[in-house]
Amino acid sequence: MRYFRLHRIFIAQYLKKLMEYKVDFLLGAIGMIITQALQLLFLGIIFSQIPALIGWSFEEILFIYGFSLIAKSLDHLFTDNLWMVGYRIVRKGEFDKYLTRPINTLYHVIAENFCVDAFGEILTCLLLLGYSIPKLSLPFHWYTTPLLLIVVVFATLIYTSLKIMTSAISFWTKASGHITHMLYMTNDFSKYPISIYNKTVQTVITYVIPFAFTAYYPASYFLTGENPLFCIGGTVIAGSVLFALALFVWNRGLAAYESAGS
Amino acid sequence: MENMIYAENLRKEFKKIIKEPGLKGAAKALFKPKREIITAVDDISFTVSKGEILGFIGPNGAGKSTVIKMLTGILMPTSGVCRINGKIPKEDRKNYVREIGVVFGQRTQLWWDLALRETYAVLKEIYQVPDEQYKKRMAFLNEVLELDDFITSPVRTLSLGQRMRADIAASLLHSPKVLFLDEPTIGLDVVVKENIRSAIKKINEDEGTTVILTTHDLADIEYLCERIVMIDKGKKVFDGAISELKHNFGDVRTLEFELTGVPDFQLLDYSRHFKMKENDIRAELDGSTVRVRFDTSKVSVEEIVSYTLRTVHVKDLNIKDVEIEEIIKRLYRREVSL
Amino acid sequence: MSRVRRFFRTYKPFTRAGMQEMIAYRANFICFLIGEIMSAFIMYFVWKAVFLSTDRETFMGFTMEDMAVYLFISFLTGYLTYSDGAFSVGEEIIDGSIAMRMIKPCSFEMCFLFQELGSRIISVAMIFVPMVAGVEIYRCAVSGFVRFQIGAFLLYIVSLLLAYMISFYFNVCYGFMAFFFKNLWGTTLIKETVVNFLSGAIIPLAFLPSGLAAVLNILPFASLSYTPVMIYMGMYSTSQILWSFGLQLFWLVVMFGISKLIWRGAVKHLSIQGG
Repeated sequence: MRYFRLHRIFIAQYLKKLMEYKVDFLLGAIGMIITQALQLLFLGIIFSQIPALIGWSFEEILFIYGFSLIAKSLDHLFTDNLWMVGYRIVRKGEFDKYLTRPINTLYHVIAENFCVDAFGEILTCLLLLGYSIPKLSLPFHWYTTPLLLIVVVFATLIYTSLKIMTSAISFWTKASGHITHMLYMTNDFSKYPISIYNKTVQTVITYVIPFAFTAYYPASYFLTGENPLFCIGGTVIAGSVLFALALFVWNRGLAAYESAGS
Repeated sequence: MENMIYAENLRKEFKKIIKEPGLKGAAKALFKPKREIITAVDDISFTVSKGEILGFIGPNGAGKSTVIKMLTGILMPTSGVCRINGKIPKEDRKNYVREIGVVFGQRTQLWWDLALRETYAVLKEIYQVPDEQYKKRMAFLNEVLELDDFITSPVRTLSLGQRMRADIAASLLHSPKVLFLDEPTIGLDVVVKENIRSAIKKINEDEGTTVILTTHDLADIEYLCERIVMIDKGKKVFDGAISELKHNFGDVRTLEFELTGVPDFQLLDYSRHFKMKENDIRAELDGSTVRVRFDTSKVSVEEIVSYTLRTVHVKDLNIKDVEIEEIIKRLYRREVSL
Repeated sequence: MSRVRRFFRTYKPFTRAGMQEMIAYRANFICFLIGEIMSAFIMYFVWKAVFLSTDRETFMGFTMEDMAVYLFISFLTGYLTYSDGAFSVGEEIIDGSIAMRMIKPCSFEMCFLFQELGSRIISVAMIFVPMVAGVEIYRCAVSGFVRFQIGAFLLYIVSLLLAYMISFYFNVCYGFMAFFFKNLWGTTLIKETVVNFLSGAIIPLAFLPSGLAAVLNILPFASLSYTPVMIYMGMYSTSQILWSFGLQLFWLVVMFGISKLIWRGAVKHLSIQGG
């Protein structure tokens, strides 16, 4: 598989670059860890005063929170360069380069960068899941692991597709980083059980910007074993539909691309 | 000869939102943005033969880069067709771009933070160059562009000249049939420019690569191209051999007289003597040398020489060849029309 | 008098430029703001759930209504006092173009200050007014009577201005640090998160262990957000308000002094190293 081999080379090059800028990347990852740690301190303070948050125990909340970081951190790790499309690459005409190369433009943009800041989130995610899982008696079957893998893939696709779609807007408008930012920030809603929100928010994060399928729904299935069809099937459907839509928008955008400068 | 590049009635229009200056303008744009259609390229047709080096010139904003971008498949023409080696750029882009190399002088395609050879390692994979061929190719490019001195340095530490050589090598790694060079000598000093020129020439001669070159430095053109296409305001204004350009736009020549003793420059008043306009004849003093530029269709070399010899004491005399730069400058200034 | 006039005449174009930039990039700015305000809404829902999960009317001294006001006013305060002009100083230091500023006949931090003020004028019109109105309508709807106090509001404005100036000079100091760190992205992420926490934007300082809260109250970060918000909410007595104004002034003078010191050192450094 050619693209697989290419990806290995891209990542190898990236790691070489990393060696050049060790301190920067370390600071980035530390920043990410501090951000997450302070959020958790906040949860800790709340739970020092109440036994459960509308029926969810501290460990369950931590599990959902940790689960939400799986897809988020994987997407962050592999497709961070998409942000640059909307912020800089199109506006400065740097996209020309990708169009003169004999590989898929979307793949090329994504593969070119690899963001190790995400290790801050991955570490937090592992710590949270490692702490909460032993304290919860989760139902475990032979199919739990394969289901988990499927969920991880499609949940990550939800993140990536939203980023592809919103950054492709820049092909028409030159810059769209702010639109990506606006939609991306709604992912934070998925860190908590969806039942704490009102109806409008619930509908939006389930059907419009379906971040709830990256965390709360699948996590609740793994917690309780209930509603597999909606919780897992929904993730698969949301991921696939969004990805198809993202590819469509990207390709339409390519046709409309108007370079920059003279 | 066989046509490598074929462009017919290429046209590109852009929509542009006009921003008015000032706070009021910004506020107005908020409610009623004014749109305007700008024709960057207006019905341009030309062909380039296989193995030819074509100079593509014109003032800033004439539409040169837009044409290059349409030919390289970056932009979709609003109308018209272009075919390179029988392929239409926007159709089957991935296969088409294997056959071309592109260098944008103002922008690098090299991996900024890594050693230069890492860029080549990635490009090798992107273009699927086999190992054996890659080795041979790198040896050749090394020889022509002298990359060895800096191939292990991070790209961000390269000088502009080194970077440009590296960029040209990057565009040639996959042995393209056509090479597009958009201002490859911009910002370089004279020595480096000459290096780059001779490298382009060598590649063209050794491999028969067809080259399209845009530049603002006419020395590039005089050294490299037999033929030029000139565009202005999106329209083609000239297409032909450089000799033809010289012929069409009047033979501008320069005579240099070295004077003896104290130069008596004041005595020479060419435009008054020949009753010619300032644009057609111009004289300047440089040390003890008087340099006269004039249009041979208006006044002959003989007349100039005899007038000068009559008026002042001349130690030496030198006739310089027609300067295409002068012609083009005049064209840009719209002193001559077609 | 004429000196003051001349001063404002010099820097007025920067304010205009700031306003124009803000208007030109209004879509970016509004989208960005919507993205950022999301976190305040999430916190609002989390707190609502917390109050649903307990029988008590108050949580560590805050009612749900207080909490909502706190969240949104603190978001607004944090947004308005945020200063990133200094970040450009850092970038200019790294790429060397700072030298161009040193040869111009105007104080370069004043250029940034006035440019930022221009963009703040637009943001006040676009978000400050609607958000304060929204918060007050909410308070009125929940409690059944108008809670808005003009006195507290005016004191809040004073405190907000002081907070902005502290933030500005603090960030100027931070931007100068680029002389020492060649990187700004990672350190900025860390700085912002830590400042957010220390200023009470993530968790009200009153919720922290009392020893820690007392220390944080004195540090300059509380002056950036927590103090003005507490004043807005009417949580402070007159003596507390006076004390916090004093503290804010104190930190403003300190930050101003430090920025001048670093600047002097930086100029020396630049003239030795040649940029």
